[in-house]
Amino acid sequence: MSFLELNNVRKTFGQTDAVRAFNLQVERGEFVSFLGPSGCGKTTTLRMIAGFELPTSGAIVINGDDVTYKPPQKRNTGMVFQSYALFPNMTVGDNIGFGLKIAGEPKSAIQKRVDEMLAIIKMEKFGARYPYQLSGGQQQRVALARAIAIRPQVLLLDEPLSALDAKIRVSLRQEIRAIQQKLGITTIYVTHDQEEALSLSDRVVVMNDGRIEQVGTPFEIYNFPTTEFAAQFVGTLNTIQATVRDAARGALIVANQEITTSQKLDGLRNGDAHSIAIRPERVSFAADGKKPNVLNVRIENITFLGSIVRVQVSAGENIFYMDTFNNPFLSLPKIGDHAEVTFSKEAVLVLKNK
Amino acid sequence: MKKFPIWSWLMILLGFTYFLLPLIGTLDFSLRILKDQLSLDAYVNVLNAVRFQNTFTYSFTMALWTIVACTLLVAPTAYWVHLKLPHLRPVIEFITLLTFVVPAILLVFGLIRIYSRPPLSLMESEIGSDFLLVMGYVSLALPYMYRAVDNGLRAIDVRTLTEAAQSLGAGWRIILFSVIFPNLRAALLSGAFLTFATVIGEFTIATFLARPAFGPYMANLGQTRPYESTALTIISLALTWASIGMIQLLGRGAQGQLVGTR
Repeated sequence: MSFLELNNVRKTFGQTDAVRAFNLQVERGEFVSFLGPSGCGKTTTLRMIAGFELPTSGAIVINGDDVTYKPPQKRNTGMVFQSYALFPNMTVGDNIGFGLKIAGEPKSAIQKRVDEMLAIIKMEKFGARYPYQLSGGQQQRVALARAIAIRPQVLLLDEPLSALDAKIRVSLRQEIRAIQQKLGITTIYVTHDQEEALSLSDRVVVMNDGRIEQVGTPFEIYNFPTTEFAAQFVGTLNTIQATVRDAARGALIVANQEITTSQKLDGLRNGDAHSIAIRPERVSFAADGKKPNVLNVRIENITFLGSIVRVQVSAGENIFYMDTFNNPFLSLPKIGDHAEVTFSKEAVLVLKNK
Repeated sequence: MKKFPIWSWLMILLGFTYFLLPLIGTLDFSLRILKDQLSLDAYVNVLNAVRFQNTFTYSFTMALWTIVACTLLVAPTAYWVHLKLPHLRPVIEFITLLTFVVPAILLVFGLIRIYSRPPLSLMESEIGSDFLLVMGYVSLALPYMYRAVDNGLRAIDVRTLTEAAQSLGAGWRIILFSVIFPNLRAALLSGAFLTFATVIGEFTIATFLARPAFGPYMANLGQTRPYESTALTIISLALTWASIGMIQLLGRGAQGQLVGTR
C-alpha cells in the first residue's frame, strides 16, 4: 500500500466536474507535482487532500488511514499557500510555533523546534520580526517552515512561488527541494509552471479538464508524452499531420515525403490520418549530418531567443519549428530558401488522443 | 508659474463658514455665562452637577454594553458570511442598513409594544429596561459596526488565514480568537468608537424607555440652563471628535501590519 492514495476521487461543483475519477498512489518521501493549466482541477485535488474540500465520491488514504471525511485540523498535513498566509499579528517565531502550541507542546520544545526551522530556512535572526517586515521570498520561507514545523505526514504546496519574481523563484525552488529531500517529507506541489514541475519533482502528474493526462518522471513526461495535451503543455512541440503508409514498419507520409518512427502504430491502418509530434530541439539541418528522417522544407522565419535560434519552416501545409544553439559563427539560410532538415526515428512521437 | 487655485480656496472658505462658524458661535456662547467676560463657569457647573455625573456614567456604561453586544453579534456573523456565505453579503448589508430607514421613534415603540407585556415583560424591571435600551442601541450601531468589521475582513485574506490555521491543527475557537480577531483589532476599535459616539448622546430611545441617560439630560438642560446646555454640547462634540481621532490613530497603526500579507 502506498503512503498517500487517491482512489477514484471525484469532485463536482453544481453541474461542473472539477475532478473526474482521479487515481494516484504516492510513496513515502516522494515529491509529486500536479501540473496543468488554470481550471484543470489541480488545486481542487490538493484542497481535497488538505481537507478544505470534500470529494463528491472516492477515498483519500494517508498512511493507511482513510481521511476522506476528516476535518483539515485532524489530518496532520502542512499547507503552503500562494499568498503566504502568515498571521500578521504574530512574529515569525510565533508563526512557526503556532501549530506546535496548538498541539500542546511545552514551551522549551516549541522554542527548540522554531530555532531548528529558522536555521533550515537560513533566517535565524528574523524570529522577532513581523511578516510585514519581510520580503515576499522571506515570507514564503517562513510559511514553509511553519508548515514543516508540525512534522506533517504530507506537505502540500499550492503554487507557492507564483507571487515571487523570477530570480527568487529559481533559488527558492531549489531550497524547497533541498529541504524536502533532507527531511524526507512526502510532498504534493501544485503548479502551472512546467519548468518548476520538471526541475523539482520525482514524478509529475499532468492534468487537464479534471483528468490525469499522464503520470511519469520529468524525463518521461518531457521525452515521451503520451497524449497531445501532455506533449503540447510540457515544452514546445510541433504537431504535424501525417498519413500512415506502412503501420508494420512505422512509416508515415508528411508532405509527400516518407518518415519513420520507432514507436508502434497500434490500432492504425495504412492510409489513416494521424497526428505526430516532434520537439524543435530534435530537428537539425541535414547539412550538419543526416539522420534517418530527412524532409525538404522552406525557411519561413528566423527568431533569435538569446541562447537559442528558432527557425520556422514549412513542409507542404505543415508549419513547424526547429531550435538550434546560438553561436557567433552560426551560418543560417535566408528566409525563403529551401533546405533539408533531419531528425531521428525516436524523435517522432505518435500521440494517442484521449 | 502655477496659477493660484482660487476656486479651491473659495470652496474651503465656504465649507469653513458653513461648518465651523456655528461651532465657534456655540463655543463663544458657552463661555459668556458672566456678563462682559469669558469664563469656564458653565463647564464647571455642568461637570459638578450630580445629574450630569449620574447620567453620563449611566450612558457610558450602556455604551460599553452596547459595544460588547454589538461586537459579539457582528464580528462572528460578518466572519462567517465572508468565509462560508459570501453570496449573502448584500442581504446582511441590507439588514444592517434598515436602521437608517426605520426611525428611532418607530423602533422604540415597537420594542415597548412587544416587550412590555407577557411573556417578555422586560420593562417591569430596571435590568429589563436597560437590556431593551442596549438592544435598541445595538440596532442603531449595527450599520457602523458592521461596516467597520466588514472593511477589516476585506483587508485580510480571511479564507486563506483560516485554512492556514486549520492545516496547523487549529479549531474554530482558536482561529477566531488567535488569528481573526487580533487582525480585526483596528476595525473592531473603529466600530466601538463609532458605536460610542452614536449612543452616548442618544435621545429618542432613552426618553421613551424612561432611562436616566445623558441624551435626555442634555435636552432637559437646554430648556432651563442655556449656557450649561451649550457647554454640554461642546463637551459632547469633543467626545465624538476624540472617538474619531482614536479611530484614525488606530487605523494608521494597523495599516502597516497588513502590508504584504494579502
